[in-house]
Amino acid sequence: MSTQKAVDFLKGRLNKKLIASLEVCAHCGICKDSCHYYRASQDPVHTPAYKAEKLRKIYRRYFTPTGKLFPGLVGARDFDEEYARELKDIAFGSCTMCRRCTINCPMGIDTGLIVRTARAMLAAINMVPASLKAGVDLTIESGNNMGVTREEFLETIEWLEEQLQDEVGDSKAKIPVDKKGARVLYMTIPLEVKVYPLSFIALAKIFYAAGEDWTVSSKMFDATNLALFSGEDDLARLHAQRLRDATVELGVKVLAMTECGHGFRAMRWEAENWLGEKFPFEVRHVVELIHEYVTSGRIKLDPSRNTKPVTYHDPCNLARNGGIYKEPREILARAVSDFREMSPSGVENLCCGGGGGMLAMTDYAKSRIAAGKPKVDQIMATEAKEVVAPCHNCMVQLQDLKKHYKMPVNITALSEIVANALVLPGEEKNN
Amino acid sequence: MPQIEIDGLVLNVDEDGFIEDPTIWNEEIAKALAKTEGVTELTEDHWKVVNYIRNYYLQYQIAPMIRKLCKDTGFSLKEIYELFPSGPAKGACKIAGLPKPTGCV
Repeated sequence: MSTQKAVDFLKGRLNKKLIASLEVCAHCGICKDSCHYYRASQDPVHTPAYKAEKLRKIYRRYFTPTGKLFPGLVGARDFDEEYARELKDIAFGSCTMCRRCTINCPMGIDTGLIVRTARAMLAAINMVPASLKAGVDLTIESGNNMGVTREEFLETIEWLEEQLQDEVGDSKAKIPVDKKGARVLYMTIPLEVKVYPLSFIALAKIFYAAGEDWTVSSKMFDATNLALFSGEDDLARLHAQRLRDATVELGVKVLAMTECGHGFRAMRWEAENWLGEKFPFEVRHVVELIHEYVTSGRIKLDPSRNTKPVTYHDPCNLARNGGIYKEPREILARAVSDFREMSPSGVENLCCGGGGGMLAMTDYAKSRIAAGKPKVDQIMATEAKEVVAPCHNCMVQLQDLKKHYKMPVNITALSEIVANALVLPGEEKNN
Repeated sequence: MPQIEIDGLVLNVDEDGFIEDPTIWNEEIAKALAKTEGVTELTEDHWKVVNYIRNYYLQYQIAPMIRKLCKDTGFSLKEIYELFPSGPAKGACKIAGLPKPTGCV
């Protein structure tokens, strides 16, 4: 294995922002308590500064004058195979790139960027963990990360349409497929279609009640972009291009990303930079659409239908990295009768531990569950019985945490709790 | 490789608790895996779902779509979730001895 390729890759990545993050760490240690890995283990190796130092050693060795001449003096290090393996366990195995340390760093060091750079270097020498790589490759090969075929997708949509019709008691309720000129294209994920369709039905019910002109694409139905996590920029770009093309082909005004944090981030905040163009459509998270329906009175909710105490988990890629934290709370204020805030929350929320592709990486499952303990403590302190998270990735992690730590809670998608409170047209006179 | 021991049965599993070698699966293993998924007793209904998934996997080397699972076993979505609280992927598929699916599961 040639590790030189990874060093060359780093050279190409060194812009001002990355160099600043690699140069300015004052080793003050403030970042440690911001990290859920450190909070869970109290082990110094989980301090963000320690993790970033792994890459800094390489940076100094190959790109600073002192490090080149006297590596020992500045803690610089050759990038060999052994070190590459250590870097892999840090970059892939002990950071979800949630960027909580970034907003708490007095110097503004973006450790998420450093870790993602390290992942990209490792990707350049084929060291992406196999289980994550399998998901990326399947996405590129089949268009989605679970290999669901177009035929399976269409059959499932037909079946979901039947369920929708039963739910709303209207045999004319539709899930429009490939409808050109619709206002909204709903970008689902294969997980929702293959395994967990309850949130899809809930959302279809909301669209029905709002009278939305919406559609799904039978060409592209995967909001996730696992290459964002594997560090393979070319593949992340390719998937974004496919989503963009499918959206343009249908001529919709809004690409509505499903309850998925990183998929939203990739399309909303990264894709236009990757593709070097301004999209002729808006990219929105479905939470934003639901918020629009609720606040404009387009749909009516009855909070007395959700009486259990509810708390809300902010997905990192929605709140901290996407600016969406007020909207879900304004929705929940109208959808449930007993809302309880976790502490801290919003942009300061703690990662659930499942982000950064961690759920797709079997090798690190044990430490993922351990790192979720601070989130469990937060949830338990609220004594809530329902945890709402508008991100399927967070939901799967929260389910795993529930099982492991025996939390007496339900894990629910935001669309499900909203659909449960939905007052359908015609029902109003009964209330 | 992690191991789990349930009622004297030692199994090699991945970090997520899926059995490492799907070919060694049998009813005893299914019962052991069920306990790790919060299913204390496998009833006739459980077996119907588990055997369906297992046979589908042996034929196609992949887990069935939830639609097929519901249609072919006659259970509703709600019933599947009642039978397997951790859901069809991590619950039912794990008990049926399938490897972990790709993606955020």
